[in-house]
Amino acid sequence: MTLRELFTSQSVELSLKAETKDEVLKELIELLGLDSKSEGILFKTLKRRENLGSTGIGKGIAIPHCRSLVVNELRLAYGRKPEGLDFQAIDDAPVHNFFLIVAPPLEVSNQYLPVLGKIAQFAKDPDIPDVLAGLESPEDFLKLLEDRAP
Amino acid sequence: MSNTLLNPQLSILLEIQDMRAQLRELSSGEDGSAPMEEEHFNIDLDEARLHLQEKIDEMVAELSPQIRARYNRIAPNRDRVVVPVIHGVCYGCFVSIPTATAGDQGVHQVVRTCENCGSFIYVKP
Ligand SMILES: [Zn+2]
Repeated sequence: MTLRELFTSQSVELSLKAETKDEVLKELIELLGLDSKSEGILFKTLKRRENLGSTGIGKGIAIPHCRSLVVNELRLAYGRKPEGLDFQAIDDAPVHNFFLIVAPPLEVSNQYLPVLGKIAQFAKDPDIPDVLAGLESPEDFLKLLEDRAP
Repeated sequence: MSNTLLNPQLSILLEIQDMRAQLRELSSGEDGSAPMEEEHFNIDLDEARLHLQEKIDEMVAELSPQIRARYNRIAPNRDRVVVPVIHGVCYGCFVSIPTATAGDQGVHQVVRTCENCGSFIYVKP
């Protein structure tokens, strides 16, 4: 399973409206298209993970992630905030790019950790922040994954 | 994001379930997310595990006595105390749940359990 196969254009948003950490988590969750009760639970679980330490890994990138009962399969979303926002990242810099990863508590295929690792690796590529900043459509993002995260 | 139709006790159980999943993963060494959380996210694992366990204990204390009693009975023996019901099937034991339990209106307003395996159930829309 490649990263590209785990995203759809519906799960990509290149102009997030959020201004705060809580708002951005909620907006990312909305990209998954869950019902409102599941969204509420998932928000709390992601917040608890953030309370253990920010998932902002530096260089303008954050990877909020958790396991939650509210999803039946591994779900991913990508959101971009061109102006950036404060996410208490490791380097204290504003975060522009958000990769959300949510997995069910137990998965048969066990993709969660490999995918988390792949995203972290992809995001650490030095030129990736600039490339992400230049994307013009969700399809550009999907194409980028095809090219850079085979 | 309203939770108006979700029973508060069920909401607590779902949160506990999710925290147990994170804790299990941070505790299962090389098979879990611990190495990755350390490498990429600078997490202090001991502190994180302690924090999660404290939160779980806090939330368990918020359960009503009856639900807490059942929780305490089943939690030590299984990874999942709350299991999803998808298309009428309990994902704790893979047995069909009677439609009266699985399908009726207001399914999230009361806390229900699977008659077969005893898990708390969360019916997926
Ligand atoms: Zn069952």
